[in-house]
Amino acid sequence: MAILSCGNSERLFWLGRYSERVYTGIRTLQAQSGTWSSQAGRTCFDDSNPESLCSSLMRAYDNAIVLRDEIGSETFSYIQMAVYCMNSAKRSPAPLLQLQKVNDNIAAFWGMADDVISDEHVRGIIKLGKRIERVDLYARNNAGNDDIRREVMRLTYRIEKTGLHYSPETLSALNELAEERDINRHEIIRKVESLISFS
Amino acid sequence: MALTEEELCSQAGSVNEQLARYGVKFGIYKNGEFHEQLFPFDVIPRVIGHEEFSYLERGLKQRVTALNEFLRDIYSDRKIIADGVIAEEFIYSGSGYIAQCDGVSPPGGIYSHISGIDLVQGKNGSWYVLEDNLRIPSGASYPMIARELCMRSIPGAFTGSSTEDNRNYPELLRHVMDYVNTGGHSVILTPGRFNAAYFEHSYFAERTGARLVTCEDLTVENDKLYFIDYSGKKEQVGAVYRRISDEYLDPVNFNRQSLIGIPHIFDIYRKGNVALINSPGNGAADDKGIYYFVPRMVKYYLGEEPILQNAPTYLPYYDADMSYVLEHFDSLVIKDVAEAGGYGVVFGSKLSSGEKENFKAMLRSEPRRFIAQEVIDFRDIDIYEDGQRVPRKADLRAFVLMSDEPVVWKSGLTRFSRNPDSFIVNSSQGGGFKDTWILSE
Amino acid sequence: MRRLRYSYHMQLNFEEPVREHNFKLRCFPSTDARQKISDERIKIYPVHFSNSERDSFGNMCIYGTAKQIHSHFSVDVTGTAEIDINGRITAEPHKSGIFKYETPLTRAGKSIREFHMSLDPMNWMSHYERALYMMHELYDDFTYSPGTTGIATTAEQSFEFRRGVCQDYAHILLALCRLERIPCRYVAGMIPGEGATHAWTEVLDGDIWRPIDPTHNRECGDTYIKFSSGRDAQDCAINQGVFYGGGRQVQEVRVVVSEILP
Repeated sequence: MAILSCGNSERLFWLGRYSERVYTGIRTLQAQSGTWSSQAGRTCFDDSNPESLCSSLMRAYDNAIVLRDEIGSETFSYIQMAVYCMNSAKRSPAPLLQLQKVNDNIAAFWGMADDVISDEHVRGIIKLGKRIERVDLYARNNAGNDDIRREVMRLTYRIEKTGLHYSPETLSALNELAEERDINRHEIIRKVESLISFS
Repeated sequence: MALTEEELCSQAGSVNEQLARYGVKFGIYKNGEFHEQLFPFDVIPRVIGHEEFSYLERGLKQRVTALNEFLRDIYSDRKIIADGVIAEEFIYSGSGYIAQCDGVSPPGGIYSHISGIDLVQGKNGSWYVLEDNLRIPSGASYPMIARELCMRSIPGAFTGSSTEDNRNYPELLRHVMDYVNTGGHSVILTPGRFNAAYFEHSYFAERTGARLVTCEDLTVENDKLYFIDYSGKKEQVGAVYRRISDEYLDPVNFNRQSLIGIPHIFDIYRKGNVALINSPGNGAADDKGIYYFVPRMVKYYLGEEPILQNAPTYLPYYDADMSYVLEHFDSLVIKDVAEAGGYGVVFGSKLSSGEKENFKAMLRSEPRRFIAQEVIDFRDIDIYEDGQRVPRKADLRAFVLMSDEPVVWKSGLTRFSRNPDSFIVNSSQGGGFKDTWILSE
Repeated sequence: MRRLRYSYHMQLNFEEPVREHNFKLRCFPSTDARQKISDERIKIYPVHFSNSERDSFGNMCIYGTAKQIHSHFSVDVTGTAEIDINGRITAEPHKSGIFKYETPLTRAGKSIREFHMSLDPMNWMSHYERALYMMHELYDDFTYSPGTTGIATTAEQSFEFRRGVCQDYAHILLALCRLERIPCRYVAGMIPGEGATHAWTEVLDGDIWRPIDPTHNRECGDTYIKFSSGRDAQDCAINQGVFYGGGRQVQEVRVVVSEILP
């Protein structure tokens, strides 16, 4: 098994989270309407806003570029191409079309990561980041209870395969919260965000 | 080449697109801000014939062997000084000499594991060495990945061709690391993402399987170097291909103001408990002043005539050379020995008469600081620009890897100036690069 | 022949606690042709692990790490030294070239160069005699004045104001000798009665290093105990350290050298 530094384990985790944040963000924009609003433009392309999708994609890129030796050039290239597509989306008269390509690349990135990364922990940490981000986003964005339950289950299944330090108490509390009839979204977010700690 | 020029050039765009896809970039600081830039690639390869390259290969092996001997000597017996072959002042007052390396025998007896020797070809076809880079020469990753991407984009270019495969560089590098490894993992130490050559560091790590690390991942305990795993486990490290310069390597032993570095790594290197690639103190042999003496080193250490020649060089330190330089100022290029990367280079003919007088006065007051060289009439190489071939100045960085024996990588980084009037090919000053094809027959 | 008992105590007091303290110390007299060391005791506190080596100049070093949080760091070295001023510290001249060239701390600037030009040594003088001559001239033109210079002060800076302490005297004499390409080196050590560490120089006379003390304008006698030598004070740094935290720090040093009467 490969040896992994503490810094890189954290970067893999955030690479997973930011790629998911962009992906689900674009999906949400696509679902909202067929038309493009100036509000959508700000959500997407305002690089002075750290919450915008293009800022999140740059954070994913910042992590990916220092992980070339962990994830491989081939896997990295999809994040790089997502950045190029985001830049052309910014200039495009039909941004949603180009944003679709951003998501194509992110999906390909995940697929490639799953396919070529031989180290189970390296693979697992990216996926865990993605799962945690998704639970957080679903809880924030009023996703259905069943969707949240499904994502918490996927997260729980994933966490053991990372070798990361996590709190088992927080994990079982999260699962109990997800089983409630009326899910307390605020608590879900609090728990999922305190699940993992990096030293 | 099995491909017509037109076919080759029509694919230029797709190769550059591929290079962009894989993030083949270099970093550059402009106004204090870091930028990543694509390294412009020209699709027309520089082709070197089999026999011509065999000649270069022999000369490069000879030169790097002599340079290694020189480093061993000046950090131990100093015979070359005792025998009066070289003026000691050039060793001791050069910036690359590190007194703390005296008496250290690096693992395997190797000082310069990876040497980047910059050559140019004159109009008459003869080759000249312009510079020896023995500290942390970079650039091999670019032709290596360019070759791979060209084969993908222009498959026709390689069918039926007898070009040496240059994608073995990672194996050569790995062999060097394994050869000097004192026990444990081999790692590549990078100063981080904001280094000009970060792409290369990460790509070599991917291709050699050596872990890419930064200083905080490593620690010295009880005279051993360890990598700290994310679970807190310690793994011993026996070879560090470090891409950070000597002065930032160890804040206890060198620059205490440095925020990076690994405390005590130099102490355990002195004891032979870790290999550092390249060895600290190598700068003593790639100083521009020392360059003048390299042909003498070849004769002195190996008892052979130098196969490769230097560009005709003068050391104003010697009176005879000083008079020559002052007299022929307009036909010479003057270089500040402390500068690198194409900086501190002055063409005598390009100065105004006032500037000339000032420069000559500086030369007289600080003769040790400069070397002067005849301006070589470069053989231009064609590049493909806006749909046509245009000639440009170019050099060749050849890579020599030293383990049980010196090996010359059968390729090299050909850098060219994108400006038609310029001799400066450095990437930091806007130059581009080509692949270098060595014919196998 | 004289026998001396010595003790060196150094303590760093940190305003804020420090951790991951990496240190390298050079305050350990070694046996050579002039001094024979016995009964040596060394105490370093706190320390997680430490190792020793001789550096490129042959100086004894102890280096290591104190990982735990601490607000004091101390070193105590005691022992006995037997001094023989007839002992000859020899050198290979072709390996001593490094001591002929200036370093950043011993660079001669305008004021040292002017002073050097004003000197008028006799033609017949040997390297060693010229060094003694320059030492006398320097002594007459310089004032011992603690507190005006620091450890990073260069020879040129202290000479401009003609004031300084032993380190400055040594650096200036080295700068003067190096203008004449006389091989000479910096020495750190202890003498009786100072309370602090002392610095002097050695000049290569043929193949023998001869110690002279510019602060006291004399050749070194049998009361000088040497820690280390090098091109300048930086090569002989008694304590080099890097750590996290610390804030302001205060260094206490106490040196006691006394004669053991027969």
